[in-house]
Amino acid sequence: MMHAVKIAPWVKLPRLALVLVAVAGLGLAGCDDNGGDPKIQIGANPVLPALRQYLIPPIRIAKVVAWGKETPTLPQGLQVHALATGFEHPRSLYVLPNGDVLVVESNGPKAPVSRPKDIITGWVQWFAGAKAKDANRITLLRGANGDGTPELRTVFLDHLNSPFGVALIGHDLYVANTDAIVRYPYQDGQTSITAAGTKLTDLPGGPIDHHWTKSLLASPDGSKLYVGVGSNSNITENGIGAEYERAAIWEVDRASGAHRIFASGIRNPTGLQWEPETGKLWAIANERDEIGPDLVPDYLTSVQDGGFYGWPYSYYGQHLDPRVQPQRPDLVATAIAPDYALSSHVAPLGVAMYTGTDLPANYRGGAFVSEHGSWDRSPLNGYKVVFVPFTSGKPSGPAQDVVTGFLDANNHARGRPVGLAVDRTGGLLIADDVGDTVWRVSSNNPRSASNN
Amino acid sequence: MKHATIMETTLIGDANLRLTTRPRGRPIHKILVSFSAAYFAGALVTDLVYWQIPDVLWERFSVWLITAGLIMAGLAAIAYVIDLAGGRRIDSPAWPRAVGYAIAVLFSLVNAFVHSRDGYTAVVPTGLMLSGLVIVVLLLTAWVGRALLANRHRVGG
Repeated sequence: MMHAVKIAPWVKLPRLALVLVAVAGLGLAGCDDNGGDPKIQIGANPVLPALRQYLIPPIRIAKVVAWGKETPTLPQGLQVHALATGFEHPRSLYVLPNGDVLVVESNGPKAPVSRPKDIITGWVQWFAGAKAKDANRITLLRGANGDGTPELRTVFLDHLNSPFGVALIGHDLYVANTDAIVRYPYQDGQTSITAAGTKLTDLPGGPIDHHWTKSLLASPDGSKLYVGVGSNSNITENGIGAEYERAAIWEVDRASGAHRIFASGIRNPTGLQWEPETGKLWAIANERDEIGPDLVPDYLTSVQDGGFYGWPYSYYGQHLDPRVQPQRPDLVATAIAPDYALSSHVAPLGVAMYTGTDLPANYRGGAFVSEHGSWDRSPLNGYKVVFVPFTSGKPSGPAQDVVTGFLDANNHARGRPVGLAVDRTGGLLIADDVGDTVWRVSSNNPRSASNN
Repeated sequence: MKHATIMETTLIGDANLRLTTRPRGRPIHKILVSFSAAYFAGALVTDLVYWQIPDVLWERFSVWLITAGLIMAGLAAIAYVIDLAGGRRIDSPAWPRAVGYAIAVLFSLVNAFVHSRDGYTAVVPTGLMLSGLVIVVLLLTAWVGRALLANRHRVGG
């Protein structure tokens, strides 16, 4: 190094010029790489292009604008209105048996800076409106069916820790905080819970907590809870040790709090539902980033007990990801390809199997999926709620756009759909964490709809 | 023994010669450049370790070392302007070394982006190769610079 230390004089201008040319070149490399038609990546057999790696991966963020007087766009036969507004980052929804709607207002814990890149990522998230303060509470809405403002709006539960999933079994209300499932006593009609919660089990939380949301679903008999636990990284860049019991769906015994890994290799299972016809567990999942605008498609899949779905070693079955070292060919050999691709980077964050009767008959038995929208792909993808038709317990056709207009004509985001729920009378509720609104979609002709 | 003594005398003579060519002290930018070169060399070491033991800790060392090297290079550029303005003597010929250093910094900038990838391919193979290349360029630049300087001294006295 003595030699290198002695290299002395530098001229500022030529180097700056070189650096500028290089940066411009890198920028272009990021821009001319547009994603293809998402339609060829929807369904059981998505077209998967070759894996690419970038100096600067494509980033395209929708600038946030206000809804103003606009509302989302719907197809014929459906209407939408704002059930309630003025939330702080409403992230998920849960409907209690008496029809009360719980709105979980939550945002992730502060991400640690482990690499220079994390500083840049922080700016990107701020620009996309994802840096709202974490309200850490659940708000209750009552009497809001149909026409506008709810009669009652109360703080149902406060001082939570980045909550996401909620499940009621009998008089036990379970809240999945980012680091634990907590049980609260709930009486019918209660509008606020002040009792202290009891921890059922810890969940993988900080200090990194990359994918912080913990989705929650009770088993039909009420004996088990299923928890979607996302990975602690994009693709193991925080070390494989940080992924212990993550990227998995947990089965938690309600009586003892003991858990086992029900399924693994699912990068970020953000929503869980029972398929009504077969009674099978289905999940939506967010797949990995930075290997191209069309890799890897996010998906909707049935979840097999003991199944391994590839992450981090492979995607869509046996497609290897070279970014993971050491590899695990033994696991890859068993990797199950998901059932239904939703196309790349749409970021599904809510799923609702529709068993209501208010919406037209063609929506019954299928799955609504909310697509929060891409940030690392151009053109933008997602930013809508789609419907995946099901027949005999399996997806049976292309996903249809149902709720759109989250992006305006300039590709600015007025809102981004997150949690979904079906209310007691069959309306579809959508949490919008950028518009800070809960939307309700209903049939605009309820009588004819029920005759369909 | 006689032989060794002669060598020593030669070296001392050489050192004296240099001192006389630098009447106003060591330029600040040179110190900063030394720092950046040391950071880039450190990144090569941590990359080599990561290649053998793929624990993310080593990859993080590398990317911070490269970033620190780039920051030092930026400061060196500013200091160079100040050195020029302050009338400090810049070793000449300056251009070959400036171009060599610029190439090394450019590779390091690309390397910072490669090291910002997620997972193993942040280092192996491209990042590791770039870290090595940066050090090769720095060493070559130093060698060329010394050779030119020695040549100039021989010619110009």
